[in-house]
Amino acid sequence: MALLQNTVYPLGYWQKVTLSIWFIAVVIIPFADIEIVNFDPLLELSLMAQGLIHADFFATEYLFQAIIQTLNFAIIGVSLGLLIGAPLALIYQHPLVSGCCAFLRAIHEIFWALLFLQVFGLSPITGILAIAIPFAGTFARVFHDIINQSSDSPLESIDSRADIISRYTYGKIAQVLPQLITYTRYRFECALRSSAVLGFIGMPTLGYYLETAFKQGNYSEGAALLIIFIALIGTIRYWCPPKLLGIYLVVACITLVEIPTLDSSLLVRFISQDIIPPALVNTLSFADVQWSLLYTWFSDIITLQAIPGAISTLTLALLALAASHFVTLNAHAIASKHLWPGPLVYLGQFILLIGRSVPEYILAFIFLILLGPSMLPAILALAIHNGSVIAYLTVQQSNAIAPPLMQISTLNKFNYHIMPSIYPNMMALLFYRFEIIVRETAVFGILGIMTLGFYIDSNFSEIRYSNALILIMCTALLNVAIDHISMRLLNSHKQSLTT
Amino acid sequence: MITIDNLNLYHQKTASNNTAKRKGATQVIFDLSLTINKGEKVAIIGPSGAGKSSLLHHLYQRLQTSAALCSQRQGLVDNLSIFHNIFMGALARHHWLFNLINLMRPFKQDLRNIGLLCQQLELDEPLAKSVDKLSGGQRQRVALARALYQQQDIFLGDEPFSALDPLMASRLLEIILARHKSVIMVVHDRALAMSAFDRVIALDKGRLVLDSKKQSINQQQISKLYQTDAVA
Repeated sequence: MALLQNTVYPLGYWQKVTLSIWFIAVVIIPFADIEIVNFDPLLELSLMAQGLIHADFFATEYLFQAIIQTLNFAIIGVSLGLLIGAPLALIYQHPLVSGCCAFLRAIHEIFWALLFLQVFGLSPITGILAIAIPFAGTFARVFHDIINQSSDSPLESIDSRADIISRYTYGKIAQVLPQLITYTRYRFECALRSSAVLGFIGMPTLGYYLETAFKQGNYSEGAALLIIFIALIGTIRYWCPPKLLGIYLVVACITLVEIPTLDSSLLVRFISQDIIPPALVNTLSFADVQWSLLYTWFSDIITLQAIPGAISTLTLALLALAASHFVTLNAHAIASKHLWPGPLVYLGQFILLIGRSVPEYILAFIFLILLGPSMLPAILALAIHNGSVIAYLTVQQSNAIAPPLMQISTLNKFNYHIMPSIYPNMMALLFYRFEIIVRETAVFGILGIMTLGFYIDSNFSEIRYSNALILIMCTALLNVAIDHISMRLLNSHKQSLTT
Repeated sequence: MITIDNLNLYHQKTASNNTAKRKGATQVIFDLSLTINKGEKVAIIGPSGAGKSSLLHHLYQRLQTSAALCSQRQGLVDNLSIFHNIFMGALARHHWLFNLINLMRPFKQDLRNIGLLCQQLELDEPLAKSVDKLSGGQRQRVALARALYQQQDIFLGDEPFSALDPLMASRLLEIILARHKSVIMVVHDRALAMSAFDRVIALDKGRLVLDSKKQSINQQQISKLYQTDAVA
């Protein structure tokens, strides 16, 4: 019996990862502001539920206009993003290009829009550029990754005297074209969400009317807008086959609201005065600069706004990560065909569709009305949205797994056969979404949660553009740093698997 | 046409540079010397692992500008049609803009040429069918058609008929021989090598063991070659 004394059974890799996520969340929870401030959330909830039952599709004036503009920004934004991003994908291996792209996509669409709003006003250019620029950075990176995965063997059998463009299109790009198209369609869905959310800062898209309706308590109108929006995203594959994209682009350009003539003096003023730090305005030469003033200005922004903002951004993101993990596990279980009979699976998948169609920003906004201003609405919104997205992707994988040929109960089969085979992929997706969570978290500031976006938004409304610009830079650097760290972690794990 | 002197080739297990004897690299060709003249039709035979493919790929690197290679790794692009996979052989003959337009909408002239070629190779499938829907033998003929469509003087083939029946193989071989001045081919079928080629060389464990140009060889010697492999 001496043998039995040494039964040490070490934790598995994914057990350790899961436990550390939850350990971090439990440690930081006392420092996070997660109380329910609203006095009577149930009353508000019942009002919303009534609004949902009596959804009023005709309450919104300019509803058609709003839908068209939402679509237009998304279509033109994605096309422009493709036009810039796809060529960049071919030279993405250059560190300068990848660095620039990382920076472009690290700044959220809403921050880009806030910047362009100062120059172009509420012109469609603001909405289109706000989507196109970060999307170009993302397209460059993901297209580059996809093309790199393609095999080199077709290139070997092509005559080496053929020019590089022909060799590359026939030998490489043709191999991965379906993946590129699928990804572009997915990004189009993202662009629709972003386009709607741009309404929250005043662009004439669905989000604008949604915000107004909810703020005024017109829940029947708000519910109708939400249903229209979910239906729009849920049916993308029926009304937007890739072949029609070109036609849509032309239609979008025609139906775009008129672009007001650009006031060039505004642009000049913005660049030459507004975004210059106050200590540097009216200085003509290098000698005039009051360095001490400039230093106090800069250190004030960093210590009073950037660092507190970054800390609460990270706190919120880490709590949302743990909550997303929880939602993912449950959401995957409710839509798995290994647990439920057919019709219930469809119901589960429908719930996932709703969860992933509503932008986290709009979810957070609704929870904010219900629960009052704290981190809790943001955590719930991020958890529901990201949990549904990850669950949706893993359900596709787990439903393809053949059930084991063994006589065991459904639950045992689920826990011993299905979960172990999909868990690594589920966690990889969760970590991939972490970058997105941090990015979204920063934006929640505009809803009043004290993250970096809060300070950026207040600086914009106080017309301190120079401060806002510094904070946007800080946000971008934070995102780039997290992007870099998570890439390193993923790579080191992959290497530890291969060796 | 080409002369090789004391060639040594190493197969790299890890992806490092392939210059010299490093750890992890196994030698696949040992001190091989060989001269192949213009107009010769050469068959390379030998048991598996003898270094035939390595030798052929080395020859291709040396002859690249005037040779078409039909490799064992067919290098077909699964998402493209039969037409486009075969057309890839002609990429060097056209301007890139022509190639791009052709990718979206095939030009009539090439459609006709490639249709004829497919007919000769007994490939009765619609040209627009994507190659991932083809059988192994059909895929092999698409790869062969692409090499033929390069219209080069020299043809290098690495067992281009391994998935086809012997009768079809000899019919296709005739087409290849008729369309190229010189042919160097790794052949699986020993009888075919002896009957259809005017020179046969045999490799064993990375060394040149038989050359019909220097010595007359017979079926017995060849059978022995394969037997030793089976024993070892």
